[in-house]
Amino acid sequence: MSSADREPVLVPRRAAELLARIEENVHRVIVGKDKVVRLAATGLVAGGHVLLQDLPGTGKTLLARALATSVGGAFRRIQCTPDLLPSDITGSSVFNQKDLTFQFIPGPVFANIVLADEVNRATPRTQSALLEAMGEGQVTVEGVTRPLERPFFVVATQNPTEFHGTYPLPESQLDRFILAAEMGPPTDDEAMEVLARREHGDPIADLRAVVSLAEVIELQDACLKVVAAPAIRTYIVSLLHAIRLRQEVLLPASMRSGVYLQRAAQAWALFEGRDFVLPDDIKLLALPVLSHRLGMRGRFKAADVVEEVVASLPLPPLRQH
Amino acid sequence: MNLRRFLKLPPSPVENSLQARVFVFLGFVVASVAVAIYGQDYVVPAAGVVVAAIGHVVSYRGRNKRRRLAGQILVAGLVMAALAYFLADSVLAIFGGILPQANFAILYLAAVFAWDYPFGILVALWAICLAGFWMTSHLRRIDAKVAGPIRPLALALAGALALGVIAFVFIPQPTALSPTPLVVSLPSFTSFQGEMENPALPLVQISGDPSGATNSIDLRFRGRLGDAPVMYVRTGAPAYWRGLVFDTYQGGQWTASNRSFVTFQPYIQPRSLPPAPKHNLGTFAQVFRVVRTLPGVISAAYPIQSLYAPVSALRRDAYGTFRTPDVLRPGQTYSVVSYLPNLSPQELQSDPLLPGNPENNPEYLNAQNLSPRAHQLAAHAVAGHTDTEFDQVMALTTYLQTNFRYSLQLGQAPPGLDPVDWFLFDAKIGYCEQFATAETLMLRSLGIPARLATGYSTGDYNPVLNESIVREHDAHAWVEVWFSGHGWVPVDPSPGFAALAATQFPNRWAAAGLASLIPHLSIGAPLAALGSLGILAAIPPAVAIALLVVVVWAWFRTRRWGRGVRAAPGESELLRLYENVQRRLKRRRAPPETPLEYQRAARGGPIEPLLDELTEAVNQGAYAGRWPGSERVRELEKRLR
Repeated sequence: MSSADREPVLVPRRAAELLARIEENVHRVIVGKDKVVRLAATGLVAGGHVLLQDLPGTGKTLLARALATSVGGAFRRIQCTPDLLPSDITGSSVFNQKDLTFQFIPGPVFANIVLADEVNRATPRTQSALLEAMGEGQVTVEGVTRPLERPFFVVATQNPTEFHGTYPLPESQLDRFILAAEMGPPTDDEAMEVLARREHGDPIADLRAVVSLAEVIELQDACLKVVAAPAIRTYIVSLLHAIRLRQEVLLPASMRSGVYLQRAAQAWALFEGRDFVLPDDIKLLALPVLSHRLGMRGRFKAADVVEEVVASLPLPPLRQH
Repeated sequence: MNLRRFLKLPPSPVENSLQARVFVFLGFVVASVAVAIYGQDYVVPAAGVVVAAIGHVVSYRGRNKRRRLAGQILVAGLVMAALAYFLADSVLAIFGGILPQANFAILYLAAVFAWDYPFGILVALWAICLAGFWMTSHLRRIDAKVAGPIRPLALALAGALALGVIAFVFIPQPTALSPTPLVVSLPSFTSFQGEMENPALPLVQISGDPSGATNSIDLRFRGRLGDAPVMYVRTGAPAYWRGLVFDTYQGGQWTASNRSFVTFQPYIQPRSLPPAPKHNLGTFAQVFRVVRTLPGVISAAYPIQSLYAPVSALRRDAYGTFRTPDVLRPGQTYSVVSYLPNLSPQELQSDPLLPGNPENNPEYLNAQNLSPRAHQLAAHAVAGHTDTEFDQVMALTTYLQTNFRYSLQLGQAPPGLDPVDWFLFDAKIGYCEQFATAETLMLRSLGIPARLATGYSTGDYNPVLNESIVREHDAHAWVEVWFSGHGWVPVDPSPGFAALAATQFPNRWAAAGLASLIPHLSIGAPLAALGSLGILAAIPPAVAIALLVVVVWAWFRTRRWGRGVRAAPGESELLRLYENVQRRLKRRRAPPETPLEYQRAARGGPIEPLLDELTEAVNQGAYAGRWPGSERVRELEKRLR
């Protein structure tokens, strides 16, 4: 009767164990930052894409690389610059003089994990090339649509403070990221630990894959099986509604953000070995999932509004019937 | 326990709602108050209330305790005994005329029809307690939150108040009556509250013949009159309720010279009585409900068309007053239909003063006991108004009303002096009896036939309800003057009363018209009796409709449409346990708080492991749909204890 009999889906306990393995592996390189690491992994399991934003040198790229290495699979990095062309990302056809045919040379986007570093430095045209890949999981070059291999996971980083010579991501593109996370400054202990680990070399060189690509796909499938009860849906809808009603909000959270919130919560539940979503998951993920896509009036901060709403919004009744 | 399992009986739910229990207890208190008021017994109801209170406290405290077999048998036995008593009483009472199983609508109608407002209020309170218990208990069990539609309710209430005020302002009040449409008449349990001392009235001197009707009125003797209602009157018109009539005055004492009687059946048909007077405007019905023991005199508006009183026989004295063989007891009712003759000043002006004694009774013109100076005073008072009999009567009445003061604080007349003389020339203050006596004798001295009438003034008349509440201090005395074309006409010389005390139909043109749309009361017709309730008849259906609306509304609120799912077996129990634990921890889960957050916040208490398990179970139930079984909940509940 249960779906477990029909197809082999990861039991929550095993999913939690796999995820713990990934996290542990990443933590060999990243000191502390438990939440950011888990958020990044959540993006991967939820089948979305993650935007990391913080000052340079806070470990954004390192996190992306560590995650990619832990998972195995192809990892490509795109260093975005103003002169980066869309074909530099998607790839292009080249005339093969030997057999007189055009041959498609895939770009860096044809990988399992793509790091788009300093994504706001690319021109909007190039940025939008990433858009189709992220949104649809496919790339169309010269009229031919080519699907991307699963899993496909984009980690984009951007520096939120330096705007000189940048092209800020439009809202539509920001909306494609399932969540945005900030690394945050390290504590003193963490900083000392970082220095200690780097004393005799770079630990990322020793990092090995701990989870196979097949297992990542299994995790992604398991994520879809996690139950989001009607009460959770009610809660998400009322959350979006409450945010929409706030005076400070100019551009409210889209329906897609609600879908992403549910999906991210499903993935988050797996980390704790649960096969159902708790309102706690929603509360925790509301900030990273929602805040980067809200358009705000004046100088109001989206994060403040989301936090206030989450703290005051009543839960749906426990009783279901 | 085993027996229950064997019989596969479901476990009876524990009534956790304190409010519901309070409603049950209040219902019992209301019933006890009713017994105290109507059973005239205070000890048993009081003891019952105390015992019930103790029982309720014990029951509430021990509601979650498992009862032992003996205790269970005791409780079941008490319940069965009460039920058996109720059934036996109901069956036996069918023939006794009391029907406890009669529904509340009938009870209510009976109460209102009998003008027993305290009882009507008690029934309403009882029904409210019943509905309150049902609502709170049920809503509590299904864990529903009820937020009433405050704004519509407030609007309705404000609208009703505004309408009431407007109605109060615009409904015409009969003249010379206090404008009090809202008369709260609670039973008066104290012996005396009023200040008036009056010797003459039948209420006070329950003596003489077995009916308690007095033979005489002594102006020097004084009785006491309080605020207690003596009777409720439902009437088509506000009138004076006339009782005994006296014609002979001697030495400060009124007596009746003619002691002859005619005996009638309890129901006196119109054809047994004198025909309608000339210039009759119509008839109106009155139903009297006696609430205090009264002398056996039928007080009613005269002249009477027909009469029914539930007594063995009626006697009519020579002055037209009907008497019963025994005193009138509380709860007794009688109905009268009276003529309403046209006694307007224009009508009476045309009556010539004919010489001779009316009804061949020389006493009506006997003024021998009036002092010569009083004779002169009478002549002086009517000087210049001697054209017609009516002018003279009104002149003298106005003279008395304007030149003498009405007071209830009256000293004693000195011995040897006639009380009327003392009133007219020395004291110059008096109450109804002094005024009426003086006027009667002075009219006689002018050659106008007159006699003294006693009874009750209208009382607190409510034109909307067509009801009058007559109290002890409404006892009154006035004058009846003979007009050749109209017979005996009531005239009231007491200051503050209308001089011409003739009955008039109330002027209904506003909301009171509503009541007159409903057919009027006639004796013995149930439909008409219902009609006599006036707008009161609308109250029971209104209450019923309101209750129905509330019930339907609550049902809509609590039901989930389109799902048709019933709660999982353990769901209600688990959530109730969760509530109990929150209560035990003295910290409720805030609305935005998730169960996990609550668990973290409430950590450290003595029941922490239980709270952890409970939170997990609640999360599993509410967010994974995996509610625990009843057994599991019971196990957790056991650990809570």
